[in-house]
Amino acid sequence: MIQPFLSIRKLHKAFGAFTAVHDVTLEIPRGEFLTFLGPSGSGKSTTLYAIAGFQDPSSGDVQLEGKSLLAIPSHKRSIGMVFQRYTLFPHLTVAENIAFPLRVRRRPDAEVKKKVADMLTLVRLESFAARLPGALSGGQQQRVALARALAYDPPILLMDEPLSALDKKLREEIQAEIRRIHRETGVTILYVTHDQEEALHLSDRIALFRDGRIEQTGTGEDLYLRPATDFVAGFIGNSNFLTAEHLETANGAATIRLADGSVVSGVSVNRTFDKGQKTRLMIRPEAFGMERKPASAELAVEIVDVAFYGERRRIVARTATGQEIDIRPTSAAMRSQDLTPCSRQVFFDPAAAFLFSA
Amino acid sequence: MLLDYDRMGWLKIALLGFTALVAAFLLLPVVFIVLLSFGSSRWLAFPPPGWTLKWYRDLFADPSWLEAALTSARIATMTAILAVMIGLLASFALVRGQFRGREILRGLLLTPMVLPVVVFAIAIYAFFLRLGLGGTSIGFVIAHTVLALPFAIIPIATALEGFDKSIEDAAIVCGASPFEARLRITLPSIRIGIFSAAIFSFLASWDEVVVAIFMASPSLQTLPVKIWGSLRSDLSPVIAAASSLLVGLTLALMVVTALLQRKVKT
Repeated sequence: MIQPFLSIRKLHKAFGAFTAVHDVTLEIPRGEFLTFLGPSGSGKSTTLYAIAGFQDPSSGDVQLEGKSLLAIPSHKRSIGMVFQRYTLFPHLTVAENIAFPLRVRRRPDAEVKKKVADMLTLVRLESFAARLPGALSGGQQQRVALARALAYDPPILLMDEPLSALDKKLREEIQAEIRRIHRETGVTILYVTHDQEEALHLSDRIALFRDGRIEQTGTGEDLYLRPATDFVAGFIGNSNFLTAEHLETANGAATIRLADGSVVSGVSVNRTFDKGQKTRLMIRPEAFGMERKPASAELAVEIVDVAFYGERRRIVARTATGQEIDIRPTSAAMRSQDLTPCSRQVFFDPAAAFLFSA
Repeated sequence: MLLDYDRMGWLKIALLGFTALVAAFLLLPVVFIVLLSFGSSRWLAFPPPGWTLKWYRDLFADPSWLEAALTSARIATMTAILAVMIGLLASFALVRGQFRGREILRGLLLTPMVLPVVVFAIAIYAFFLRLGLGGTSIGFVIAHTVLALPFAIIPIATALEGFDKSIEDAAIVCGASPFEARLRITLPSIRIGIFSAAIFSFLASWDEVVVAIFMASPSLQTLPVKIWGSLRSDLSPVIAAASSLLVGLTLALMVVTALLQRKVKT
């Protein structure tokens, strides 16, 4: 078996009666960009802090190249970390901040100088070397923090919601920067965020946390197109959930009856259901179309409102049983007669819809 | 707000007048002392019949004044160093610590500020007499350190509370040991608090007279004790000169502190 680079084994962390992390197991290959995604309090930061050594797990292990990290104190783990808050050393210049990890390692002056220059180039802040952190914007401070974290070539870079204090535009700019730096350095990155878009943009893989457990691990596409649970489906992207009764499953495709009585077959499932079991059918808003296609299933709705959102339109519709659903077809696919409130059929591909237990 | 300064109308003038009166009441005695120290009258007459530097010459000609000033400076410096060191450790415990009785400890460390000084002076005098520390420099420094501790702890603890511990954590992830991170990152970051603590504890000892009277011996006298003693034996303008110098140094240190604090804020 190939030795995984970083491996988290049955990690468990309890604070008194509260269990923050519940038997989390993950294997991370070298060079991967893995994101811990989840709502606040889902255990993603606690897991990261256990890897950094700021939290001692109650049980379980964290291993780097087969060797346990737990007995090693934080400052000897050789991990780079960027924090949610601005953590530049306020009395040191940008260059001295970046040099700090090299200075504590007693590296020779010439090497420190060269490395600081390289890092400043990497984060494109060459002209800011002599500034104090107080004279930098939030985005620049986080870029310096990134340079400082990478200065001693750590094998792993931990990032704890590093962009959450920045505004949207700046956030997107630095996301691109982080992707480029990951590409150029090949460092293994563990990234914590509660922002699903950020996770989708940045990561090779995403581990979705919920209540201290990993709900699903996979690429952004896996989580979006093949959600393992209704929580994943609800957390990643937008989703409509329609109540349905399961009739039968054959060859991995289910036949169900929706609340309005219509029967849909060919629905994707990734578990077994009993006959007559109450279920929920998840359909992405953009999976709906206004035209019938060969394998389409149909749904009778009343169009309540249509809004223009640029490349897509956003339609609020109501089913026969009064449930509101969200439909987002591309604007080009809509004809003008589709835009007025009316009763009509909308269509979706049952294979792109997922069935979950209610 | 009900008492918004900008909306007070005529009350504003009354308030300004009252404030000026209070300030004058507090400051005038000091101004008089300084003026008298330059006055030519042997009997501290006011207004002085003429101006002279004679009293300052007399002051510097008398070695016992210089000795008292040096004693004061020495004791105040040692007090400041000790109070800052203990204050630093205590502040870390009070701000970062999670232990039972933390609030009680905080209260205990700050009591010298509210306790009547004379009560403390008598207590520590009796105590030190038994230990044989009465009239010694060490006794002086210990007594003054207890008094100065609140003035050291308050600015350091405030600075430490305002310092984000994540910054220290960042230094540790960078490879600094917890001790090194505190020494190289946390302490420089709270240096203004430490500096204020040093100045205030220096001053707490420098112009302290009550405890000093109890701790002093004929061979060990601080400047305030010397002033107090001279006042009782012989009312001379030399005392005004000595007092002026005492006030002058205090004022200079306060100004330096204020300037430094302003520099850090901008």
